[in-house]
Amino acid sequence: MADLAIAAKPRRGLRFGFLLNLTLLGLLLLMWAVLSATTESFMTANNIVNLLRQASLWAIIAIGQTFVIITGGIDLSVGAVVGLSSTVVALLLKADVPIWAAVFLTLCLGPVIGGFHAFGILKLGLPPFIMTLATLTAFRGIGLLMTNGATISGFPPDFTGFSRLSLLGIPSLFWIVILVAIPSYVLLHHSRWGRYIYAVGSNAEAARLSGVHIARTIYLAYILSATLACLAGVLTASRIAIGVATTGEGWELQSIASSVIGGTSLFGAVGSITGPLLGSMLLTTINNGANLLNVNPFWQRIITGFLIIAIVFFDQLRRRKKR
Amino acid sequence: MTAALREAPAFPAGVATLELRKLDKRFAGTHALKAVSLSFMPGEVHAIVGENGAGKSTLIKLLTGVHLKTSGSILWQGREVEFSGPQDALALGINAVHQEVVLCPHLTVAANIFLGDEDTRFGLLRKREMNRRAQEILDGLGFHLPAAAMLSDLTIGQQQLVATARAASRGTRFLVFDEPTGYLTRAETDQLFALIRRLHGEGVTIIYISHRMEEIFQIADRVSVLRDGQLIGTHVVAETNERDLIREMVNRPLDEIHHKEVIPLGETLLEVTGLSGPGFQDVSLKVRRGEIVGLYGLIGAGRSEFVQCLFGRTHKTAGDVKLRGKPVEFRREADAIESGIVLLPESRRDQGLCLNLPVGFNLNLPVFHKISVAGLIQPGEERGRSDKQMRDLRIVAASRGVDALTLSGGNQQKIVIGKWLNHGADLFIFDEPTVGVDVGTKAEIYKLMAVLLRAGAGIILISSYLPEVYDLGDTLHVFRKGRLTASFPHKRVDHETILAEAIGT
Repeated sequence: MADLAIAAKPRRGLRFGFLLNLTLLGLLLLMWAVLSATTESFMTANNIVNLLRQASLWAIIAIGQTFVIITGGIDLSVGAVVGLSSTVVALLLKADVPIWAAVFLTLCLGPVIGGFHAFGILKLGLPPFIMTLATLTAFRGIGLLMTNGATISGFPPDFTGFSRLSLLGIPSLFWIVILVAIPSYVLLHHSRWGRYIYAVGSNAEAARLSGVHIARTIYLAYILSATLACLAGVLTASRIAIGVATTGEGWELQSIASSVIGGTSLFGAVGSITGPLLGSMLLTTINNGANLLNVNPFWQRIITGFLIIAIVFFDQLRRRKKR
Repeated sequence: MTAALREAPAFPAGVATLELRKLDKRFAGTHALKAVSLSFMPGEVHAIVGENGAGKSTLIKLLTGVHLKTSGSILWQGREVEFSGPQDALALGINAVHQEVVLCPHLTVAANIFLGDEDTRFGLLRKREMNRRAQEILDGLGFHLPAAAMLSDLTIGQQQLVATARAASRGTRFLVFDEPTGYLTRAETDQLFALIRRLHGEGVTIIYISHRMEEIFQIADRVSVLRDGQLIGTHVVAETNERDLIREMVNRPLDEIHHKEVIPLGETLLEVTGLSGPGFQDVSLKVRRGEIVGLYGLIGAGRSEFVQCLFGRTHKTAGDVKLRGKPVEFRREADAIESGIVLLPESRRDQGLCLNLPVGFNLNLPVFHKISVAGLIQPGEERGRSDKQMRDLRIVAASRGVDALTLSGGNQQKIVIGKWLNHGADLFIFDEPTVGVDVGTKAEIYKLMAVLLRAGAGIILISSYLPEVYDLGDTLHVFRKGRLTASFPHKRVDHETILAEAIGT
């Protein structure tokens, strides 16, 4: 709601979101400064490009996740969708389908999967948590079944080469993030459908009585999330040059964490597009830095966990004050 | 447990079981109970009557420790007591049976009766023993209910009896029944009354709240009338009659004036014939341009259900709706809004507002499709429209950017009104628009209605506050048990007649 920010008096919610984003940015810069000072390998072109690539994949699914969380739902299946779509695109490529067609067909899985989620939630009355938890395990199974658990390799060089490209010194994967984030930003903050996503997350009954089509809004959010997860799956296959059904294990938690660290509220109706971008960058930096500092990699998980607790605690604190 | 119940407590004669002295309760913005002094004697059945919002619920919540008093004192057997929560009242033997059953549906009847007071041996539940004792209690009370059955397998009325048995089996000295017969069949009501008479004989003090006058004359010894938070009078039931009680319930000071303008009625806007749906049957009424049609009834009489159906929130099962002479069928709310019917729902917090979103957002929620081009919101339109409503309705808020939940009840209600003025409509349905709203805002809302009527709109006004619909409604329809039972032109009959119609005496 950037247009509201022009209001003469500052908006409390926005001010808080802005402050949080600023704090996260400061934290990120601080971590970068410390890592550049303490390690020789952090500020190398190679490492930065690597960092950006990994952050890109997480950022893409975290943006999709953010749409869903703002409606008051959750999408636990995104990691499994990444795995499934990377095997699907791999099988298509191995079947000599042209690259553009293989990518397009794989992305078409997104609306089907997202539509199925929304159908289960709206028509079957399943809670989003259960619906997407069920498809999380089912999609992993489908991926394993299709490949018989095997790893698929030997992609056309044009496909694997894409993820290694850079334009103006910025890795291609990060360009994709920009291409995803800008339309997402416009959709969430400047379109009527974005407004409806917030309204459904805040009070679905009030939105319904105001004439908002609740079902369409839920479909939109889950389809966006699944489609972006498919995109991340295709890009992952390109990056690691293999298709494995177990790709993206645990990424659902990374995407939720990125979104929540970026200020999205799991209670719905609070969140922005810059949040998951910063959140995923922060998580990637923690991973990367821990590797470089030779910190036991298990610490990364612990740090991530406590970061989530701290951020959500402060978010709750703000809510309580407002009531 | 039953043994404890049979030992009639030996209260000192002449000392009230419970005495209230100048009991006072204020909530933010409302004075719910005004210096009520009242004594409940050992072994009496004391009925409390009053309109919706007269303060009965508040009084009960103070007695059972759910709400804390603002001032005044509560004396238990002559000694002053302070409640800090429901457990303090329970410890004295004060129990309540509510209209809505608050038990665990997934447990057995026996488990519910002993919930929180389970019989154990070596830390393990003695289920068989509890079933046996529960059955004893139920049989002893004359309730024909199986102790081993799941609570959810019983009817609501039977569950109500279980709740009563639970309360009665806990060494109760003081038992409150809040509209206990709402869901009971005639036979169940008789079982309940038999129990009340028995407890009465054992010296238990009983408070009985009901809208059903005949029950009060059947079961109560004394009756107290509450009105607008004040105690109007206490009578021995044998020395009073229905007519006098109702007069006391509705009689009000004359200083409450509802703003009403004389507006010529125009063409028929809405015509409903034989409409039935979830919670109401066979309702027929008309609304003309410039007219306020008031719907009065007790809570749960089917008024809100009727307008929700009219608005497309639920689907009709029979009947026809004509708008501006043309038959209409609404599949969803958006269809109704599109044809010019809007609903300002009963509950601002649950149905009217997105509380954790900004005021401006809420004001524009119904019009986002109108102020966007190719799906993109026009920022100037968005700002302009919300500022206009805030200015016109004098909504007091720091800016359009603050969240709706930071505003007072009156200002929140203005947002709900403002969003529909922003959209525009021919028929406005106001469901309890002035509940929890301060006097000043109330007057503003009534003036606003006049403005809408002058502009050619029609209004359906639902209110449980009789003077409001009575003074404002050009036509007044009374709902009872899901049906439209009577219709009166503006101020043709007195309050007593209307209330009697709503209660169904």
